[in-house]
Amino acid sequence: MNNESLLNIENLSVGFAKGRKMNTVLNQISLELKKGEILGIVGESGSGKSMTALSVMGLLPENAKILSGAIHFLGKNLLTIGEKNLRKLRGSEISMVFQDSMTSFNPLLTIGAQVEEMLRLHTKYSKEEYKSLTIEALKEVGLPNADEIYYKYPHQLSGGMRQRAMIAMAMIAGPKLVIADEPTTALDVTTQNKILKLLKDINEKHGTSIILISHDLRVIKSICSRTIVMKDGKIVESGLVNEIFAHPKTEYTRQLLAALPMLFSETDRNQNEDEHIEEASVDIKAIKTTKKLSSAEVKKEQKELLIEKEILTEKEILAVKNLNVYYSDKGIALLAKKSRKQVIKDATLVVKQGETLGIVGESGSGKSTLAKAIVGLNKEIEGVITINDLAEIGNERTVSRPQMVFQDSYSSLNPTKKIGWILEEPLKLQTNLRKKERLAKVNEMIEQVGLTAKHLERYPYQLSGGQRQRVAIAAALIVNPKLVILDEPVSSLDVTIQAQILALLKDLQKKYNLTYVFISHDLNVIYQICNRVCVIYQGEIIEMNDVRELFNRPQHEYTKELLKSAMVDLGA
Amino acid sequence: MRFKGKYHFNYILGLMITILVFLIVVIGFFYTPYDPNQMNAALKNSPPSLTNLFGTDNFGRDILSRVMIGARTTYFIAIAIVLIGALLGTIVGALTGYYGGWFDEALMRLNDVLTSFPSILLALVFVSVFGPGTYNIVFALGIIFVPSYARVVRSEFIVLKERDFVKNAKLMGAKSFRIMFIHILPNTKKVLIPALLIGFNNAVLAEAGLSYLGLGVQPPQASLGRMLSEAQGYMLNSPWCAIAPGLMITLTVLGFSLISGGMANE
Repeated sequence: MNNESLLNIENLSVGFAKGRKMNTVLNQISLELKKGEILGIVGESGSGKSMTALSVMGLLPENAKILSGAIHFLGKNLLTIGEKNLRKLRGSEISMVFQDSMTSFNPLLTIGAQVEEMLRLHTKYSKEEYKSLTIEALKEVGLPNADEIYYKYPHQLSGGMRQRAMIAMAMIAGPKLVIADEPTTALDVTTQNKILKLLKDINEKHGTSIILISHDLRVIKSICSRTIVMKDGKIVESGLVNEIFAHPKTEYTRQLLAALPMLFSETDRNQNEDEHIEEASVDIKAIKTTKKLSSAEVKKEQKELLIEKEILTEKEILAVKNLNVYYSDKGIALLAKKSRKQVIKDATLVVKQGETLGIVGESGSGKSTLAKAIVGLNKEIEGVITINDLAEIGNERTVSRPQMVFQDSYSSLNPTKKIGWILEEPLKLQTNLRKKERLAKVNEMIEQVGLTAKHLERYPYQLSGGQRQRVAIAAALIVNPKLVILDEPVSSLDVTIQAQILALLKDLQKKYNLTYVFISHDLNVIYQICNRVCVIYQGEIIEMNDVRELFNRPQHEYTKELLKSAMVDLGA
Repeated sequence: MRFKGKYHFNYILGLMITILVFLIVVIGFFYTPYDPNQMNAALKNSPPSLTNLFGTDNFGRDILSRVMIGARTTYFIAIAIVLIGALLGTIVGALTGYYGGWFDEALMRLNDVLTSFPSILLALVFVSVFGPGTYNIVFALGIIFVPSYARVVRSEFIVLKERDFVKNAKLMGAKSFRIMFIHILPNTKKVLIPALLIGFNNAVLAEAGLSYLGLGVQPPQASLGRMLSEAQGYMLNSPWCAIAPGLMITLTVLGFSLISGGMANE
């Protein structure tokens, strides 16, 4: 590897003017990138990762001010060379790959025209040469039928293909530096790996330096050699990736690593079960003293005990039999024929009282559709869904209607209502409690999810994503449901917040004896929280098993591939 | 441009103009310099002076007094029109947007029919059937205003009904009407309030237009449109007859436009 420095950022500070105060978003950032190196920048949202990238590109928002520092690229200070010279560098020397390939492409132009545009701006060729060069670039990023894709529009490609086209666009003019800002965040795990591998290949083949920005340590670890960790606009740690993983120096990095679900880590799972097991601990001690058992045997005994104690009962709370779910596309014209599309094919599953059933699959596989059908939001179904009325189980009046927690808490909480109102509404609708009793319940619930009464007076937009998701959980649990459907409840959160929410969910499950159906595309999350998992692929349940059994001995080809890609993710 | 960092400059300016205009109307309830309908042959078409600040019209009536009273009539009519239009429009828009289907199709096509005729022409048809008069004008214009509100509310509802908080409300067991008017409707205020303000402007202009044609407010009652119509014959030798009501209409429309523009920029 070349040791020459390509990019050098020295003491860069950037701020936004807010009234008379300066709101600093980047504080004395210094970093160096060598030729042919892949540097990772990791941090949670709001840590200043993207601001660093934008200031290199000279694309900071208009109201942002550079307070101090310099950015040297091949000896030139990018902050002083002026807009005209900067424009010449953009694309030809430095280019960028964005997170959301749907909004980064112009929807009205073909892929070919847009990739070609990059070349046109920096070179002079004939029309035919442009076209052949573009098609070649599309081929290089691994797009099949590049000739056809040249004429396609962005919406006709899948997310992964669009991201490849975007990389082709970034690479076509042969830049020395590519800044990839969360290039894989919007993609499924299997696609994620392919894109990361592509970036690595490009780096090796052309010697292009890459700055990879991500909130996901696993992504960083898979292809970066060095990384910096950012928090609140400051670099808190930097060094070789392996070293940071092995010996994190700062508290924050340790937190990030701790929050990162280690690949199917046994400690996470054991903790989960140990909590249940503690309750039966007296009996376990008795076993331990009377017999000398191997740890595996102890586990088995413990499990039987648990079943006896009905902590994990065998009672079915939800049974779905031969379920087919359809979506009908309504025609735009008045008399247009309805076309019906089958989303779920012949699904059969059973959820037992007290367990957590995971449903895993890629986006578009029908996970959410299945969930919506179970709670009754989707009416176009065939088959039987039985939700057992468990009113007699608890002493309190229970509601047989299952509740749901959605992925995007910004959309699932009414933006014009205060948190207090949002929590009270389900009580108004489903119980006969008086105003005073309702308020008492609301106050109790908000504390159960780790917030305080002062949050009741706020609007959803005044809370952070994690707090909003806590409110959404409180709103679902306040009517004492026995079954809760969690539809990707942590997918839009930062890792540390994810871990907190998962811990809260486990806690509440124990406290209220809840049954969860947990939908996620993230195998690590599934592994941490679920007892059983069902894998869904193109609308069909292809495998269902105990979580450990499934992860250790996957039966179906697709499950194997899913697990494999999750492994590669960690660089394992 | 922002004023004290919180409100848009246009918003503040619009608010000031609107308050001024409304102040004139409110004062008219308690005090007018002269009886607005009292004629005075001696003062026929006299130009603005210290005794008659905006001059007098061809019957010798004080124009300032008539503007104060006339603006009240015009505003009353405009508010009534907007209320009828917005109320019915919101209900139609909410129902069609929320339920969709053939019901939506049928009502929206009816909407299209209503909007495809010029509103003045429709009002003319209305008035020729029911006869001229203040209440008929209010009713006619109110109905004509329904489609614009229905459209705005409907399009918002179509977007909002897909949001998860609506699904959540369904899961909680909320009835459709509660979802529509308690859960969804407050979320439309961002577009509905500017639409109300612009609607008020249009209503003021529509009233002025119809009264100008002699179909609305009947003499001797004053309204801004009526006064403009009466001033028409004397435009060249006594332009002040038209200037005062014209200015009032302009200020009203300007003030409300600035407010709604400023709000949209928030």
